[in-house]
Amino acid sequence: MVATAQASDLAFSGLTKLFGTTRAVDGVTLRIAAGEMVALLGPSGCGKTTTLRMIAGLIEPTEGDVLIGGMRITRTPVHRRNIGMLFQNYALFPHLSVAENVAFGLQMRGMRKALIKPKVAQALSLVQLGALADRLPSALSGGQQQRVALARAIVIEPTLLLLDEPLGALDRNLRDSMQVEIRQIQQRLGITAVMVTHDQEEALTMADRVVIMRDGKLEQVGTPEEIYSRPTSRFVASFIGTCNFLRGDVIGQEAGRPQVRLAAGGQIALPSPANDQKEVLVSVRPEAISLSAEERGTPATILQIVYRGQATHVHMALDDGTPFLAFLPNRDGKPVRSAFSTGDRIWASWSPDSNWAVSEA
Amino acid sequence: MASRLSGGGGLVTYLLAAAVLVFVLAPLAVVVAVSFSTAPLAIFPPVGFTTSWYEEVLANDEFQSAFIVSVTLAVCSTITSFVLGMPAAYALNRWNVPGSRAIEAMLLSPFIMPILITGLALLQFMAMLKLRDAALGLFIGHVLVTLPYLVRTVTASLKQVDRSLEEAALTLGAPPWKVFTKVTVPQIVPGIAAGCLFCFMVSFDEFPLSFWLSNAETMPLPIFLQNSMTKVFDPSIAAISSLMILTAAAAVIGLEKLVGLRRAMSV
Ligand SMILES: Nc1ncnc2c1ncn2[C@@H]1O[C@H](COP(=O)(O)OP(=O)(O)OP(=O)(O)O)[C@@H](O)[C@H]1O
Ligand SMILES: [Mg+2]
Repeated sequence: MVATAQASDLAFSGLTKLFGTTRAVDGVTLRIAAGEMVALLGPSGCGKTTTLRMIAGLIEPTEGDVLIGGMRITRTPVHRRNIGMLFQNYALFPHLSVAENVAFGLQMRGMRKALIKPKVAQALSLVQLGALADRLPSALSGGQQQRVALARAIVIEPTLLLLDEPLGALDRNLRDSMQVEIRQIQQRLGITAVMVTHDQEEALTMADRVVIMRDGKLEQVGTPEEIYSRPTSRFVASFIGTCNFLRGDVIGQEAGRPQVRLAAGGQIALPSPANDQKEVLVSVRPEAISLSAEERGTPATILQIVYRGQATHVHMALDDGTPFLAFLPNRDGKPVRSAFSTGDRIWASWSPDSNWAVSEA
Repeated sequence: MASRLSGGGGLVTYLLAAAVLVFVLAPLAVVVAVSFSTAPLAIFPPVGFTTSWYEEVLANDEFQSAFIVSVTLAVCSTITSFVLGMPAAYALNRWNVPGSRAIEAMLLSPFIMPILITGLALLQFMAMLKLRDAALGLFIGHVLVTLPYLVRTVTASLKQVDRSLEEAALTLGAPPWKVFTKVTVPQIVPGIAAGCLFCFMVSFDEFPLSFWLSNAETMPLPIFLQNSMTKVFDPSIAAISSLMILTAAAAVIGLEKLVGLRRAMSV
């Protein structure tokens, strides 16, 4: 067993990086608890990698500070930060064997050979690669290479594990199993970890908390569930999963729930007391919607029905032309398609708890 | 590498390669053949077989001293080019040196300057400084022409090193100098070796600079060869030439043994 490093919390305050006049990262402030895994998620160019590299010390921030365990490390050189990092291209040393790669960080710490050997063996068995210790990296598959990189990163008992799209180069199935494997090891060792990804599923699968970034700023921070079911903005709601957006006016309260008349026709209730704004944008997840031929709920016309294995996607248009999407679960793999067909006029309904008001931007 | 070219394009490629080989190697073969000729003049085809020209040349004091001058000069300029060129190439590639492009262009400029003129200029410059030591002049001149070869090959291989390897080493706790020796250098060894080989060969074969900078006491092999040729044109000239070819071949084979020529030339 690789010894558990004493986990430290990580914090940044006002972290900013300018490239010329581009504000790649713009005043990011965040606290990450000891042992927590946080995923930085966002569209390309939003500053995820830049943030991660500032934590690692590979990029110097223009402004702001990075603190590990309360200690300001903003000016500490990379090699004194005790960080384990995984790169998208694995970055294994091609001239060293698997075991030598894993031993590298320990050698740099001046550890004696006799101590290094068992530690390397333990780390390799943790990632199930004990048998390949003498191979060169070029003789390994992508998944094996990233596991070596993981062993190399954790064997030094880092205070922090940083991962920049670690599974980006792997195919879907391998990625899924590696996500679980990395997550298990991170939890078992209790390492504080920051991961960068632009794969929302990866972020939801692996992280305790997800940080949505946009144009160098934090858009929303929360648990996967919070981010998914209570997005603050249209941007977040549409970035994580698929979402319907309905415009409406608050016309009054009923049992403490604001009532919204939709521009597309019909009336819905919001689950929480809304702020006193008049116009609202309501998000509804497609899987919350049920369809019926009876006149109940919001009317819509079916444009297209797509069979997708576990669910059938029904693309519709509301009466004012708003696109609307419902995911209907398939039972025993059988589509519900038979019940409806393209061009049908149907009524969509859903629980008020599925409604969530989001900001426009 | 092992795959063969096929089709019309392949045939043209092979014919061209064969033609180049013939034009480069055939004259060398002629020289080697003549060096064993018993005829008193360097004529082709050679007559009979003798190693007496080699015996004569090897026993010649002037040849011995020229050979020693040339090898010493080549080794010294290679080492100096390495010592100066490695840090220069590294700094220009990895650090934010102001004006790095201009500096690189200046370092590489001997590539495009007419060496004969450079040599004359250097001679006048040395005379101005009252430095009349031919050995020093030759050394400075040779470093001037060999340095660009080392900078060029090391730069080319540094550019190919995956930066994330160096970054990974840093995160693993390696201070920058260890990153350089443990990670960067092993990636560029072939480039360094190729650069050193170029330096050695260029210096060993250098004529236009040595033409100005050498004197009767300090005379590199190419100048000695040219001098001997103007006196008499017997097969000893061919023997000297063959010995030069042999030295060059030894350097190439040494490199092949050391790092593998294919790797070295792949920069
Ligand atoms: N070395 C650099 N010089 C100039 N601009 C840079 C540099 N590195 C990043 N940028 C810019 O900073 C912004 C953020 O880049 P960053 O690499 O952090 O994005 P990212 O969120 O990691 O994107 P991706 O998902 O595509 O990897 C981008 O606009 C990018 O063009
Ligand atoms: Mg990135």
